[in-house]
Amino acid sequence: MEEVYVEEFMSPGCVGCPAVKEMLKELSGEFGDKLTVEEVDITVDTARAAQYEIMSVPAVVVNGILKFIGVPGKEELKKAILEELER
Amino acid sequence: MNAKKEKRIGVFICHCGKNIAGGLNIEALVESSKHIQGVAYVVDNKFSCSEDGQVDIQKAIQDQKLDRVVVAACAPSLHLLTFQRCGEKAGIKPQFVDLIDTRKWTMHGSPQKVDSQLALEKSKNLVELAVKRMRLKRLIPMVEVKTEQSVLVIGGGVAGLEAGLDLADKGYKVFIVERLPTIGGKMALLYKVFPTNDCAPCILAPKTAYANIHPNITLLTNSELKSMKGYIGNFNVEVVQRPRYIDIEKCTGCGECVEKCPIEVVDSEYSAGMGKRKAVYIPYDQAIPKKAVVDAQNCLYFRKDVCRLCEKVCPTQAIDFEQENQTIDIKAGAIIVATGFDEYNPTAKSEYGYGRYGNVITQFQLARLLDIDGPTGGKLVRPTDGQEPKSIVMIQCVGSRDKNANEYCSNICCMYALKHAQMIKELILPDSEIYICFIDMRTVGKGFEEYYRRTRELGINFIRGRPSEVIEKSDTKNLLLKVEDPDICHLLEIEADLVVLSCATIPSSGTRQLSQVLGIELDENGFFKEMHPKLRPVETNVRGIYICGAAQGPKDIPDSIVQAKAAASCVDGELRKAKIKLPEFVVRASQLNQGG
Repeated sequence: MEEVYVEEFMSPGCVGCPAVKEMLKELSGEFGDKLTVEEVDITVDTARAAQYEIMSVPAVVVNGILKFIGVPGKEELKKAILEELER
Repeated sequence: MNAKKEKRIGVFICHCGKNIAGGLNIEALVESSKHIQGVAYVVDNKFSCSEDGQVDIQKAIQDQKLDRVVVAACAPSLHLLTFQRCGEKAGIKPQFVDLIDTRKWTMHGSPQKVDSQLALEKSKNLVELAVKRMRLKRLIPMVEVKTEQSVLVIGGGVAGLEAGLDLADKGYKVFIVERLPTIGGKMALLYKVFPTNDCAPCILAPKTAYANIHPNITLLTNSELKSMKGYIGNFNVEVVQRPRYIDIEKCTGCGECVEKCPIEVVDSEYSAGMGKRKAVYIPYDQAIPKKAVVDAQNCLYFRKDVCRLCEKVCPTQAIDFEQENQTIDIKAGAIIVATGFDEYNPTAKSEYGYGRYGNVITQFQLARLLDIDGPTGGKLVRPTDGQEPKSIVMIQCVGSRDKNANEYCSNICCMYALKHAQMIKELILPDSEIYICFIDMRTVGKGFEEYYRRTRELGINFIRGRPSEVIEKSDTKNLLLKVEDPDICHLLEIEADLVVLSCATIPSSGTRQLSQVLGIELDENGFFKEMHPKLRPVETNVRGIYICGAAQGPKDIPDSIVQAKAAASCVDGELRKAKIKLPEFVVRASQLNQGG
């Protein structure tokens, strides 16, 4: 894949979500146009979360595949994005 | 590496009649969508969800050789399945069909409505993101897993029992988890129910009794959910059962222990604070299970290491002070949440004096006083002096339809006020003067308007206005109210013996915590949130977890029953094949989570 689309599932009261948001912000800086990040508030877009059977946040979906539930390490997250780019 | 085939994406832009087209430049959105990378075909349609609209989509998929579809129309919770099925018929897997909501910015009455310029900007952005998401989306590997043929029902009130019995009769193993020592919920304590004025425990008892003996039902009273892991078909649940300090296999419910117990305390659960019970007690005569329970907070043995009289008199040696919390592991294919409601505590509405004035009570407390099996044996008396009230004022919408408390209408308060007024006038105190101070009387339901008319014909006084304040007379403890009746343009001054507050219906305590354990959303009022308020009213954001009854929002018994049956039907629909296809990552993530 030449690009990666990340769906970051969060909710307003979620404790771990800001950390994931920050990591993805930093990674967006690194990957530039190759990385698109969309923040999905599960309290607003419940149907999207249901499509992936997401039951807790934060959760990270990379190119349609649920990769992380909970807060991943930044390197893990970066690796998941790189793996998609190299596919 | 082989060059990857560029995905061909079709974008279908719906007018939804004038709902979208009335507030969005469709032509401009079509034009901009054509230039998005991966888009092979764009068309607008008056109603994409119509039969013609769906045929057009299917035809375009085949003619244009599309392999991904984005529909710009309405909320995914409403129509995503429609378009996924439509795409599947033309050969596209459901996960490669997406629906985005542009209607929320254009439709008259939508809280998110914006001007047409902004609607176009937002729609362009949303289409662009959706196309990109679809273009890059990989095929999700699916696996088939077996589903447990068992169901966990949380809450043993009328909704939970109905859902549980429906499923048990269909052959599923059902676990009903109830926080209190008995099943039956609030309904068991209502004395009578509108609009038939049936005895509430009498019409509930067939359900509680059947649940108690049903071979497919396990009742777990005094129990609460501790944790939940897994996914639809395979939920792993931990339930904590608190000790009753009674061996329920030995207890016969004879009541010897209750009689001898020297400690008497206010009964807040089953008498709404209007009566007393012992430190070892049986909740009420028709309780199921009809077994004693020790209240450790008040029991002399637990407080001071003395007494143990109950142990000495129990003819079956059922008292067991050594009992501890017990953790029970349950595997369930689906979960139904039926945790009911609580009555709003009106202390915060200080103008009515609840908590300060002894003769101001709530409707739930009144129900307990009217109940012939209640704390006063059905005698309606004032809490301060035990005298029969001659003048009773009911105040509607306390904590409901109120920006400072709960903005929503609590749905059932008008009807239960009418019911109690009828009970008092017809059965208990025919000579009493009853006033109902209301904003609007909302009697929507089968037979409800007729019930309202019958109440009026009994001579109940209806005043379209609410008192601004209740003042207690220090000598008599009577209550003074001034209320403006706009229908007769007159300020009324009433001296009442008893004031009854029709309080809001609020989510039951523990709702927020349970939502966190289960991962299901709450609405803006704190009730469990349904997937779609009209079309998917018992589904939640988690597949396999359903809601019913007042846990989803204020409602009466018939509506709770209907929802319970709907939830049971959803569960049966998911579990009956005994296997289910799920994304591989869902199963894998769950196994990792459980150390599997």
